[in-house]
Amino acid sequence: MDFSLIVRSAAFLGAGICMGIGALGPGIGQGFVAGKACEGIARSPENSALLTRTMLLGQAVAESTGIYSLVIALLLIFTTG
Amino acid sequence: MIDSIELVQIAAYLGAAISVSFASLSAGYGEGYTAGLANFALMRQPKTSDQLSRTMLVSQAVTETGAIFSLVISLLLLFGGLDVEGGIVKAAALLAGGIAMGLGSVGPGFGSGYAGGYACSALSRMPTKGNEIMGNMLIGQALSQASSIFALVVALLLLYAIPEFSHLTLNQQIMRSVSYLGAGLCIGFGTFGPGTAIGFVAGKASDMIGRYPRERTTIMRTMFVGAAVTESTAIYSLVIAFLLMYAL
Repeated sequence: MDFSLIVRSAAFLGAGICMGIGALGPGIGQGFVAGKACEGIARSPENSALLTRTMLLGQAVAESTGIYSLVIALLLIFTTG
Repeated sequence: MIDSIELVQIAAYLGAAISVSFASLSAGYGEGYTAGLANFALMRQPKTSDQLSRTMLVSQAVTETGAIFSLVISLLLLFGGLDVEGGIVKAAALLAGGIAMGLGSVGPGFGSGYAGGYACSALSRMPTKGNEIMGNMLIGQALSQASSIFALVVALLLLYAIPEFSHLTLNQQIMRSVSYLGAGLCIGFGTFGPGTAIGFVAGKASDMIGRYPRERTTIMRTMFVGAAVTESTAIYSLVIAFLLMYAL
């Protein structure tokens, strides 16, 4: 039996765990930002451009940890085994 | 029976995944929380947009610390040139290192995000005290991130500095493997409470400095005392993790 396939399957399992759990936080966080931005725009529509800019800035930074997970998941899939 | 080298590789891959995924969870949520409250604050005080954006970005950068530690540990587990000989003990140590860093950065991520969010909220209420609020926020976040540094220390020791085990019998090796996993879980879960709670303390302190700037020294003193007491359980976890790693 070829055990290197078991090692590869562990790497695939790891990639799934990594991206799955890693996407949870940025998703919730970015949704919270967008929700608060909508709340802010509803109360003061004249600042909508400023609020949208800040929303996108904040979401971009919150995305970074999701990108870390993506990088590690891709490394686990393509460079291991 | 599966080859010992392959067992160690499996453990390293799973450890790398656990490390970066849990850290992303909390840091992503924390950064989003900060940005959300910053947006809401901007609605109240559009004139302070520069100051608010700066505070938000600094806070998010500090919140990111735990995730970056975890990324480093993951990359070390994947490409760090680790010794793959050693079978079950080495495999357990690598998996435990990943678990320690992953779970250990969850609390600080949530806590720092909370502290940053309330600092932004306070800033919109009292823009003239922006520097004091930001200073308080950074001190609080640094105290919160201390827990993730404990986790980083334990994870690096598990990766590179476990004691010699080749002379042990199989039963003793199994016992030692389990104690490494226990050490990883201990520091992982043990830093969750203190990391989150110190962020809560720092957030509330920043909020109150925004409302009552004259009471700043009293508020900060209380914050330090509260944070020090809260940190104590993280230090107990660190001591137990070291005992599990080196005293058995």
